[in-house]
Amino acid sequence: MPASASSNNRPPDLIARLNSGDAATKLKALREVKNQIIGNKTKKLSYIKLGAVPTVVEILATAGDSDSSILIQSAAAIGSFACGVDAGVKAVLDCGAFPHLFRILSNPDDKVVDAGARSLRMIFQSKLAPKYDILEEKKMEFLLSLLNSENENVTGLGASIITHSCETSAEQKVLCDAGVLQRLVTLLEGSLNQRDVSLESLAAIVKNNSEVILKFANLDSGRALSAINELVKDRYPRTRLLACMFFTVIGDKAPCYLQSIEMRSKLILILVELLEEPDRVGDEAPFALASLIADKEDFQKLAFEVDALSKLCKFLCKGPIQAKRLEGILLALSELCSKLENCRSQFLSMQVLNVVTDSLNHDLAEVRIAACICIKSVTRSVKNLSAGHFINEMTVIPLVQLLHDPSTSVQVAALGAISNIVVDFKIRKSIFIQCGGVKHLVQLSKSMDPILRLNAVWALRNLMFLLDKTGKEGILLELTISTLASLICDPEPSIQEQALALVRNLVDGCVDSIEHVFSEDGIIMNSVGRQVWNASKTEVCVQGMYVLSNVAAGSELHKEAVMHHLLPPEAGGCTQSVIIKFLQGNDSQLRTASIWCVVNLTYPGSPGASDRFARLRSAGVISQIKTMVHDPCLDAKFRVRTAIDQCMTFGNSSA
Amino acid sequence: MGVLGIVHIAFAGTQNVSSLQKDEAWRVNVRIQGCDLDHGYLCGTMEALNVPLADTPVVTFWEGEIVDTKNYTFFTGKWEATPEDDIRHWSKFPSFSPLLSQVEADGGKSLDLSNYPNIFMRWKEQYFVNVGIDCGLTIAGFYYVCFSCCDGSINGFYYDPNSSPFQKLELKSTNEGRSGFSFSSYQLQ
Repeated sequence: MPASASSNNRPPDLIARLNSGDAATKLKALREVKNQIIGNKTKKLSYIKLGAVPTVVEILATAGDSDSSILIQSAAAIGSFACGVDAGVKAVLDCGAFPHLFRILSNPDDKVVDAGARSLRMIFQSKLAPKYDILEEKKMEFLLSLLNSENENVTGLGASIITHSCETSAEQKVLCDAGVLQRLVTLLEGSLNQRDVSLESLAAIVKNNSEVILKFANLDSGRALSAINELVKDRYPRTRLLACMFFTVIGDKAPCYLQSIEMRSKLILILVELLEEPDRVGDEAPFALASLIADKEDFQKLAFEVDALSKLCKFLCKGPIQAKRLEGILLALSELCSKLENCRSQFLSMQVLNVVTDSLNHDLAEVRIAACICIKSVTRSVKNLSAGHFINEMTVIPLVQLLHDPSTSVQVAALGAISNIVVDFKIRKSIFIQCGGVKHLVQLSKSMDPILRLNAVWALRNLMFLLDKTGKEGILLELTISTLASLICDPEPSIQEQALALVRNLVDGCVDSIEHVFSEDGIIMNSVGRQVWNASKTEVCVQGMYVLSNVAAGSELHKEAVMHHLLPPEAGGCTQSVIIKFLQGNDSQLRTASIWCVVNLTYPGSPGASDRFARLRSAGVISQIKTMVHDPCLDAKFRVRTAIDQCMTFGNSSA
Repeated sequence: MGVLGIVHIAFAGTQNVSSLQKDEAWRVNVRIQGCDLDHGYLCGTMEALNVPLADTPVVTFWEGEIVDTKNYTFFTGKWEATPEDDIRHWSKFPSFSPLLSQVEADGGKSLDLSNYPNIFMRWKEQYFVNVGIDCGLTIAGFYYVCFSCCDGSINGFYYDPNSSPFQKLELKSTNEGRSGFSFSSYQLQ
């Protein structure tokens, strides 16, 4: 019998023994389960599937306070289920393990307390863990008691709770007022583990809060800040990473503490070096680098100068990279290439674009998204767009395929990259059209999701930019006049704006293209007119006025149609024209667009120009323009001059 | 790049190889493709149509430095152009004369040009778009450019110590056969 018992450690048998009435058998089974699942994700998932978690939690819940071994083993097993596996965290939380784990923190046996604290820390490392209500007085008291404990695992738990749950400025303030900053700084001098968890929770307390940052910077006459500065050079990689992340958070809100070029370069270089580290540190380092340089051109310039970009590219070329790290590197590269042309040039010269396009087919959605964002960033280079460097099958085909990705976020990211790529000045847009791109964009422009709709229309707008006649007709055939008209009147103003910009590009170029807005009883033109009169968002009106202006650069019939929309006869002269409102308005772009429209309506040489001039004058448009000769916007001022010069040719320039 | 995106503008005109012989002029089309005022950056393409040594029109991509006195001053400081070369070329533009004394003093660093009716730029061709480098043309030099905000005209002088001096570029905005002015636009994400 003993032989069969020891070999019978398959999950179903062990679970059966967990339910045994015999305490020794139960304990042995618990220990065996715990040992099997530590560091083994597959085993964890298999036990979770078999329903082991509720059994283990039940053992913890029913064990007596003096039953140390059972308490320790069950708590440890629960922690292990929750470690690094979301399904495990969910299972543990679903069967109510939380209060039982908190209960054993007051057990007289230190080892039980250790096990409970460690297990809770595992849970608090997951986003799925419930938010701990720091603002509730009793809970705050309890949190402080954890932080003030002599037990290292318990203080660690306190710090982890803060890292997980401190989000609002009110929570940050309460913690700060309770002296938590000071306590965490003291813990920085403790063990390696205490130092790391303290660094993380300090970052959570100061994040986006200049008041708390100031308090921290003045703590111990600046010694706390200097202490973290020292940790940036610590011999332990994780400590270096966390110290760099802390300074990123400080620098975001209070750049004065991150002024020195030397310090900035040091942070960038350390984070790049950390890429070489195994496991979590190496995985998180590129994300930390991405946050450090995000939206900060001076940091990006510095990163370029210290060769961060080429190091990242070389790393990318080394061979297969673990998914998380690959995602991070792609994001760091996208930040680096987001603003500076020399970064984009170097990126392209390093021949890594093919590695990035390969990542478009990665199994993980996060990596596919990061690859799209990276391509979006690099394709902001007009210099390379103009050379037609991006619009090739190697890039376009996988991006188009991502338009029907099961993840909406991937679709949105792919649309972002496509929007840039299709700007292409080299008349090679046919490559995109030939691989079925238009059809997918049109489908997504009808999506119920407004973000997808917006990005799809945006891509169509850029594709329509300088497109040839056949290309324009192809898009319209797929999109249809009625869909385009409804997009102009979409509930989302940002979509209206892009749809109008699309129409603006449609009616640019060959005069014949203007006819499209008059087909099907002129529903597009009517929608444009309606938006110009009714839209509340300035950007929508600007694009609407440019549509009218481009149409007014067409034939007599086109010009008259624009007149009809600007000075509708049904208004009977009683209503002030919308164009006067725009000319008198505060937005210089809208004033400029409106003046262009008048310039085109009164363009010399067209037969009806003089008559249109007379009607515009009667409506008060010309006299309004004459008041604008000193417009503060240079663009508007000079176009006013053009309009007035043109009007002079009609012989009677008086208003 | 503004929130409303880049407006695409086309210009057409001529470039004279020699200031004496008008008949040597070739036709030029210029398209503005990108603009980033924060960095004083402008770029586009230039198409030379009847170049004597080339079989086809030659298209080049150029990048421009806008003399905004923040990103760039009137002094080039590169491309083999001395401050004397700079002043000699800028002085060819009548609208430059009110600025001359200040430019002589500090390159124009202290000038506020944000309301000036002309925009001064340097355009440097970067690569040939449609032909090889053996097309018979050189892009070694660069253009001193003056854009008139009033009439939308562009004048320029090509500078290359190894080419004929003061080759003049004259461009006017074109409405490409339309009865008025039409603009398309793109917006990068």
